[in-house]
Amino acid sequence: MNARRRALFSSATLAVLLCGALHCSRADREASAASRIRPGGAPAPGGELVFGFDGAAVTEFNLDPEKSAFAPHHRVIRSIVDSLVVAQPGHKFGPWLAKSWEVSPDGRNYTFHLRDDVTFHDGTKFDAEAVKFNLDRVSDPKNALYAVSDIGPYAGSTVVDPTTVRVTFSEPYAPFLANLAKSTLGIVSPTAVRKYGDDFPHHPVGTGPYRFRSFEPAVEIVLDRNPDYKWPPAGAAHSGVTWLDRITFKNVPEEATRVAVLLNGQANAIDLVPPQNVAEFRTSSEYRLLEGELLNQNYSLYLNAKRPPWDDQRVRTAFRDALDLDAAVKTVYLGTFDRAWSPLSPSIFGYDKTLEHTWHAEPEAAARLLDEVGWKKGPDGIRVKDGKPLTVVFVDTQGNREKRLDLMTILRKQLRDTGFDLKLDSQPSGAYLAKVAAGEYDLVAGSLFAPDPDVLRRIHSRKLRTSFAISKVDDPELEALLEAGSQEVDAEKRAAIYAKIQRVVLDRTYAIPTYVLKYNVATSQSVRDVAIDVNGFPVFYDTWIAR
Amino acid sequence: MTRRILERLAASFAVIFGASTLIFLILNWLPGDTAALIAGEGASEETIVRIRAQLGLGRPIGQQYWDYMVGLLHGDLGHSYATRAPVLQEIAGQFPATGSLALAAAAVAIAVGVPLGVTAAAYRGRLPDQGIQVAGLTLHSIPAFWLGLLAILLFSVRLRWLPVLGGNGFSASVLPVGCLGIAMSVSIQRLVRSGIIEALQEPYVTTLRAKGLRASQIFYVHVLRNVALSTITLLGVLVGELFSGLVVIETLFARPGLGRLAVYAMGNKDIPLVQGAILVTSATYVAVNLLVDLSYAWIDPRIRIAAANEGA
Repeated sequence: MNARRRALFSSATLAVLLCGALHCSRADREASAASRIRPGGAPAPGGELVFGFDGAAVTEFNLDPEKSAFAPHHRVIRSIVDSLVVAQPGHKFGPWLAKSWEVSPDGRNYTFHLRDDVTFHDGTKFDAEAVKFNLDRVSDPKNALYAVSDIGPYAGSTVVDPTTVRVTFSEPYAPFLANLAKSTLGIVSPTAVRKYGDDFPHHPVGTGPYRFRSFEPAVEIVLDRNPDYKWPPAGAAHSGVTWLDRITFKNVPEEATRVAVLLNGQANAIDLVPPQNVAEFRTSSEYRLLEGELLNQNYSLYLNAKRPPWDDQRVRTAFRDALDLDAAVKTVYLGTFDRAWSPLSPSIFGYDKTLEHTWHAEPEAAARLLDEVGWKKGPDGIRVKDGKPLTVVFVDTQGNREKRLDLMTILRKQLRDTGFDLKLDSQPSGAYLAKVAAGEYDLVAGSLFAPDPDVLRRIHSRKLRTSFAISKVDDPELEALLEAGSQEVDAEKRAAIYAKIQRVVLDRTYAIPTYVLKYNVATSQSVRDVAIDVNGFPVFYDTWIAR
Repeated sequence: MTRRILERLAASFAVIFGASTLIFLILNWLPGDTAALIAGEGASEETIVRIRAQLGLGRPIGQQYWDYMVGLLHGDLGHSYATRAPVLQEIAGQFPATGSLALAAAAVAIAVGVPLGVTAAAYRGRLPDQGIQVAGLTLHSIPAFWLGLLAILLFSVRLRWLPVLGGNGFSASVLPVGCLGIAMSVSIQRLVRSGIIEALQEPYVTTLRAKGLRASQIFYVHVLRNVALSTITLLGVLVGELFSGLVVIETLFARPGLGRLAVYAMGNKDIPLVQGAILVTSATYVAVNLLVDLSYAWIDPRIRIAAANEGA
């Protein structure tokens, strides 16, 4: 520790002690943190952001917003495309490419009034035809686009006039605005889609603040300022073109390497800082750390209720009671992530706050329950019934992303104490999907980024399910609730439905949520005003570099 | 000699053909539906069926294999399932990075391994030898991944001498090349050392000494030349090891390359891409070993003479 850092450390310690002594409120502390993050000085145009992002070991960049299902690519795409509406705090939506909109009382018709001063990066005009083209493109099964799951019962779009488009659904569809604000339904240029065809993912053309310049497979994507931009979403700090000339997204899949390139100055921003470095960046005077909840269905364990031992709800409950998630999450994520109480992350509409602190580790209750059902402890501590050990196989394909296997290792130890033998079966993704489709597993786990509680229907609904779905739940009551939730247009009634759904999923132990993911970005001190949007994706529109 | 080269070439083609056939069968036998993987999680059954048809995955295995081999003979490696781009183009984009990294690492391995092996042999049992052995053992026991991380921390973060990112630029290549090359140099150093120690006990060395040759002359002209044969053979084998080490180093240093491409393609059952990558890798391996074989004749006059007699 050099003299300057030592001085900083002691003054920081002093400040914390003072804050404690003066009983200053949390709000005060947040206010002082905020002022540290946004120091004075006017934004200056120019400069390049080199952003080292975790693009995983993937060598292919798919920058078609409607096609890509991969969150890291959407972190790039978000700067290339704009959406019709922007998600705002408190489950509200603000204008973006659409100036205003009306929803019919039955929730089946959405009419959007569009800006008429917007052009795509290729110079063509953005209008109602373009919106219709995008939604039709997404809904066409021939195109096999990932975003199709975001438009639900889409029936078609009508161009009322060049700046008015009406979108119609065959049934009421409440999640539409939330999904529309996602980059998966970002608007792309119809002309460019026709021009590039299958190669469009390598030539994305939107209306966003940055336009695509070039990419090198597996290595980097370069975006330049869009010189015509003047249509930022509601809530942006400035209007007009971006301050930055350029953003280079460098794919740095290894977390230690990402931290290293920020420390050695090769990048001035990185994402997904690992927990062991978060504390260091939070308190550093040379770097800033931004954290934002990624709206998603929390990483959850899914119990295959189709086959023993999980076909007995009591065994599922015992399994959940045997887990000490508080301890496991704290140990693995060093306090940087909170443990989850619901399948939904806390900022999603309909999150049931009353579930918090309602379920904890109860190993004695778990042991009692298993004894009752006839699973008795064998000589090696593993429970046995009818000569068969209580072995549960966890099939996985993602490896230790977000330290998920570290988490499972700790849970495995806890389960052993109660008499479960958890086996880990790591497979390449092809083999994994085959096992999931055949139902040859006891436990799988996954998360899904989504801004709306309707994500639970995508996971648990039997009707929407493909053979690769990770939930095998077959529960008519849950099915009816999920359908009602997707169609209810009254916010209060809708929230009540999702509160019920969250209880059903937890009480019947269909899934066990584990932790709440925070997306984070660390930058060097000179990088100002990077933001993380409501959905948890990085936004660079207002970003500038202090010199 | 020409006949010998032709024979070796024919054998090489057989090896490459065998490798690509084997990998085709293994990939098809592995569980997993390529179309479902490409469609992504949550895709409808209809989408998956459509993709399967687009890729021609419904054809019988025999026909798929036949079509692939016919394409191969026409120089067409097919199209990647995931990106629909020609496989040759995908690989050509990654190969230069991997090739130059491997070549540079091999050069470093020789440049470091041979002198150290010679030194260790010359000081056998004494301090320099012991030092080299301990350092070698330590380096050999550290996984490439960990070695790379330590190198990044020291040279890039702490001392700021070398960058981590920067593709194929010289300074950005020093750390990855160094990590790969130094790890590989340990095997070479050991082989050179034991080879020299063994050779020094051979009767021909005694004869040379009796003839009154200087020690340095015996060492550099005769002994080293004998050791060179086994060292070059080892180098051929190490190329295989090098390719597996590349996967780790490419990920750690965020570099493009064939290793990452192959691993990703394998996970996605992108059969044409995996086959292309393996074809190129095995062809490189075979080519290097062919060169190794041919260099024997150049280094060792006995082989040259035997080959000449055979031809007569």
